[in-house]
Amino acid sequence: MPSLHRLFAIGALALALNACSPADNNAASKTLNIAFWGDNTTLVSVDPFQVYWLEHRVLLRNVAESLTDQDPQTGRIIPWLAKSWEVGSDALSYTFHLRQDVTFSNGERFDAHAVKAAFDSNKAFATQLPATFGATYLAGYDHAEVVDDFTVRLVLARPNAGFLQATSTTNLAILAPASYKLSAQERSQGKIIGTGPFVLEHYTPEVGARLVKRADYAWASANVSNKGAAHLDAVEISYIPEESVRNGLFLQGKADILWPRNPFSEVDLKLFQSKGATIQSRSLPGPALNLYPNTRNNRLLGDRQVRLALQKAIDRTSYAHTVYNAEFPVVSGVYDVTTPYFKAQADKLAYDPKGAEQLLEAAGWHKGADGYRHKDGQRLTLRYNLTPAESAGDVLVQDQLRKVGIDLKLNVLTRAEWVAGNASGNYDLTSTYMTRADPIILQTILDPRAANSATLATNSYEPQTLPKVQALFDSGITATADPQRAAAYGQLQDLLVDEAAAFPLYERVWQAATAPRVKDFRWTAEGFAFLSDIQVGQP
Amino acid sequence: MKRYLIGRVGQALLVLWGAYTITYFILYLLPGDTLAIMLSASGMEADGLSPEDLAKARAYYGLDRGLFEQYFDLLWRAVHGDLGQSLSLGRPVTALLAERLPQTLALAGLAIVLSLLGGVGLAYLTAYLQWRPLKTALTRLPSLGFSVPVFWMGLLLIQVFAFGLGWFPATGSQGFASLVLPAVTLAIPSAAVYAQVLQRGFQGVWQEPYIATAFAKGLSRAQVQARHGLRNAALPLLTLIGLQVGNTVSGAVLVETIFSRNGVGRLAQEAVLRQDIPVVLAVVAVSAAAFVLVNLIVDLLYPWLDPRIAHTAKVS
Repeated sequence: MPSLHRLFAIGALALALNACSPADNNAASKTLNIAFWGDNTTLVSVDPFQVYWLEHRVLLRNVAESLTDQDPQTGRIIPWLAKSWEVGSDALSYTFHLRQDVTFSNGERFDAHAVKAAFDSNKAFATQLPATFGATYLAGYDHAEVVDDFTVRLVLARPNAGFLQATSTTNLAILAPASYKLSAQERSQGKIIGTGPFVLEHYTPEVGARLVKRADYAWASANVSNKGAAHLDAVEISYIPEESVRNGLFLQGKADILWPRNPFSEVDLKLFQSKGATIQSRSLPGPALNLYPNTRNNRLLGDRQVRLALQKAIDRTSYAHTVYNAEFPVVSGVYDVTTPYFKAQADKLAYDPKGAEQLLEAAGWHKGADGYRHKDGQRLTLRYNLTPAESAGDVLVQDQLRKVGIDLKLNVLTRAEWVAGNASGNYDLTSTYMTRADPIILQTILDPRAANSATLATNSYEPQTLPKVQALFDSGITATADPQRAAAYGQLQDLLVDEAAAFPLYERVWQAATAPRVKDFRWTAEGFAFLSDIQVGQP
Repeated sequence: MKRYLIGRVGQALLVLWGAYTITYFILYLLPGDTLAIMLSASGMEADGLSPEDLAKARAYYGLDRGLFEQYFDLLWRAVHGDLGQSLSLGRPVTALLAERLPQTLALAGLAIVLSLLGGVGLAYLTAYLQWRPLKTALTRLPSLGFSVPVFWMGLLLIQVFAFGLGWFPATGSQGFASLVLPAVTLAIPSAAVYAQVLQRGFQGVWQEPYIATAFAKGLSRAQVQARHGLRNAALPLLTLIGLQVGNTVSGAVLVETIFSRNGVGRLAQEAVLRQDIPVVLAVVAVSAAAFVLVNLIVDLLYPWLDPRIAHTAKVS
């Protein structure tokens, strides 16, 4: 049987070739492999200004740097590419004094001209495409003045108390002037040059990206322990849409960091921990995972009593502990705890099914033979629009609400239908989120003047509540001192819970599993990671 | 023959045009509009913008033209080889296809070869064996291969051969090794169909008088099966191969997702979800062209393989 022998020989050759693949070489051992979930296929871009995709912001944080940084513990803004700054008394001008030892990875000098080029290019892009994500960070920005080579003044046309925080984000990261000479499309496809400890070697949509270390790097922010070049030689990022395959790669040691979007289930968590993995967790700053009601057009949630009953009927502790695990934090406000000026509302969000039933009775909703409540022949059915699929948590909430007689209809839609549903107000409950370490981010959801969906924002409040909310948003954004901002956002959070304009479900915790060989994984304020601190060694 | 060819090519062009047009209008009938999806993707929704900003965004994505205007523009340019720009990827569709198509062609090519080897091999073995229990077991095998879902088979193969034995990589598009598991996954349902059809073919052929004649000439069982049985039993396979090419493209959608390969299948699926019309149209056009071409080749091969079939009218 000579042909069978030949077949075996080919098979053996294939195995031998496979064994020679670079992953097994010692030279590659200082390469960190990160496995994310699937790439963003709707807006394919790694242009910092346009990117809202969290995974890309992790990548960008290590390639492009910002004028300032934000302390992950306190939320305070600290120096980075700018050594210091002054804010004008009218909060309309920000003068930054820049570091003088910084260069872009293409050799260009980082200076006031580069900062001006970056802000002006971003403004031009936002004018051309007002819907771009970065536009919300740049709100109010008018122009930049080069005071001298290393001093730049950014001038706003209207107050924006979140502007300083915005200068610390990846969205307003400073790219090299050469990058802005390219088109936005070229930047989107990976032609970005920054000052970071890593250089983006390539980005292949839906496949992965490779970062390589920059040897002459020496201007880390105070958040980073390693002030010099990265310990790693390279970072390989891959996008693996299929969960079991992604988990398998991690368990096989082919991925050092397993970093999906949604928190791990308890079973996976235990499995990873049994293999020596460390679970890194951080609440993503910005709104918690909230449901937003539609109170307009005679919808059932237009009745405040019903909304308050709904608020009491959700058991958030059992949500956190059964959908995730016993250590998972229970959501305690409309923001996640890592958001500056967060105010806990745990008492008002306590599980109280009896209280909920009393409120519903008082509102005229009485239990029928089917276990659901009825009024004037109408069943208490709420339509919850969600995309792309319902989660275990959604089903749990449906079950919790059934106990007090509310029929929650899980209306699973494609993204396109969901968007259309929000815009037309064809829902009782819907959900969305944004991530930014400043309470201003809630305006992109709940302030009709600045929200992505003005309909969703308007529908969340009864007509008399809307002006109160907008006044609080205004005093938050125009405040110049910390206590003023804290007061405004504190009152706002109280109001949102008291009026039941948002129903927190769970804390948006971002989790990554790191292999035993990965040391010194640390989160940034916005829930990304400084990869230059990470060391890989033998476990 | 020449008239036959011209007729077939004309039919092929009509099929292409039909596929292109139907796809275009179906995409327009889908709920939600492209601009809303694009805006929502960049963190904005259409109702949050002023009419002027909306018009700007519409112009930026080239969506400011009417349904038919856009259709004729796309069609006219497609005829000239310009498949347009992907809306969300911001790149020419031809460049995207040039990048993705080789991956899918390699996958589909290997899968077709493997499915033929597997399917024909199994049926041949079944026909040759004379021990009843084993013969029956092998006859049942194709139904199993066909009824196991592709995604489940893919995950199973990854579990065993990538995670368990470590022979092949679980994901990626680099090198031949990464092609093996996806190709096997994709080949199994097709192989099952080939095996089933060929098994029936052998059953039928085995009763034919020319088989008795062959045995009467003193040929061994192996010789009869190879020379007289297979050639006659295998003819229906040819048509099936033509049809299976279409299945391979749709199977690639699943297989490419499971194995994280970046081929045309995944490109098509994601383009449909984000209503990226130029990309979907191009993928449909290319796969329809491949389908039509393979079936034309199959039809042309028939008279050569089976002289009883002729495409030209017989002179009486």
